Amino acid sequence: MKVDTQKSLDELLAQLPRDIVPPRNLWRGISRRMDQNPRRVRPLVYAAAASVIGACVASAITWAVLHGQPAAPAAQLAAHPPAFDEPRNPSYVAARDDLELNFRERLSRLDPATRARIEASLAVIRRAHEDIRKALASDPSSPLLEQLWQSTWHDELDLYDHVVRATQPTMTRT
Amino acid sequence: MVQMLPTAGAKDAAAEPTELIAAAVGGDARAFEHLYRRFSPRVYGLCLRLTGQREAAEDCTQDSFVAAWRALAGFEHRSRFSTWLHRIAVHSVLARRRGLRIDYEVPEPAAGLPDTADPGSDGPPLDLERAIARLPDGARHVLVLVGIYGFSHAEAAHALGVAEGTCKAQLHRARGLLTAALGLEKS
Repeated sequence: MKVDTQKSLDELLAQLPRDIVPPRNLWRGISRRMDQNPRRVRPLVYAAAASVIGACVASAITWAVLHGQPAAPAAQLAAHPPAFDEPRNPSYVAARDDLELNFRERLSRLDPATRARIEASLAVIRRAHEDIRKALASDPSSPLLEQLWQSTWHDELDLYDHVVRATQPTMTRT
Repeated sequence: MVQMLPTAGAKDAAAEPTELIAAAVGGDARAFEHLYRRFSPRVYGLCLRLTGQREAAEDCTQDSFVAAWRALAGFEHRSRFSTWLHRIAVHSVLARRRGLRIDYEVPEPAAGLPDTADPGSDGPPLDLERAIARLPDGARHVLVLVGIYGFSHAEAAHALGVAEGTCKAQLHRARGLLTAALGLEKS
């Protein structure tokens, strides 16, 4: 009996409409509030600078970790690989490669000064990434290093993504 | 008159409007308006059932789309756009409720909900909508998300900021209250 009761309640719930058209046009109010607080796309150089700051902070923390703690035995590296496995995931790697390709193509369209600043920022991020990778090899169980490792991956991808989006040829603003 | 669209049984078969989303991410307000036209009935329905109040649902729907516009740059396609938007809508309802300290014991519960209670129709009874609107907040929120809008318990628990076990307990409670309110145990 209980099963039948539950089933009939489920059937009634399933008949309810999920979509209900608002009784009045709400878009006007939304549009007005969007205009009052427009969303801004950060200039490329600011995006690059933000990524670099993140990478520099990660580098500094890595240095402090390396000089403040004894290194763990190298054998731990094999026993406890980093849990963050995005870089080893084939679909992730393919998507990342696509994004990087797109990024390179868009970068080539920028003026030389902007391009140079973005490339310098990318170099800083990659140096930080390499430093952290080495530190992680010495101390593979450190959750802090693992977080920093992830954050430099994300800094790099954020920079790619921002350049690609900010140079979208069809982008319009109203 | 309230206009209704597909029922809970209908699946989200429509393809993700990726071009509109990409344009909106790039700052195209017109593309975002198209997204509003497409997704507002679902968001409004969700807000209306979560709040049980038409005016509150309208405010929450507007809050949701304004918040979505501001957050669009961070939309990473890890979930469907609609799923992302629904999470924002739930957050808007909860934030508004916390901010205004509203107790949704309104004199006319379910005002603005679809009036589909034709005695001879196959549709759900209006009593069901009223009974849902009269549920205690916690039970109603979980029933609306899990029972009507198809959230998993994990998704609902995350959106509502409660433990998954609490979510399951609230759903059980909501079912019990609805079953009693509608006299289903006697049928």
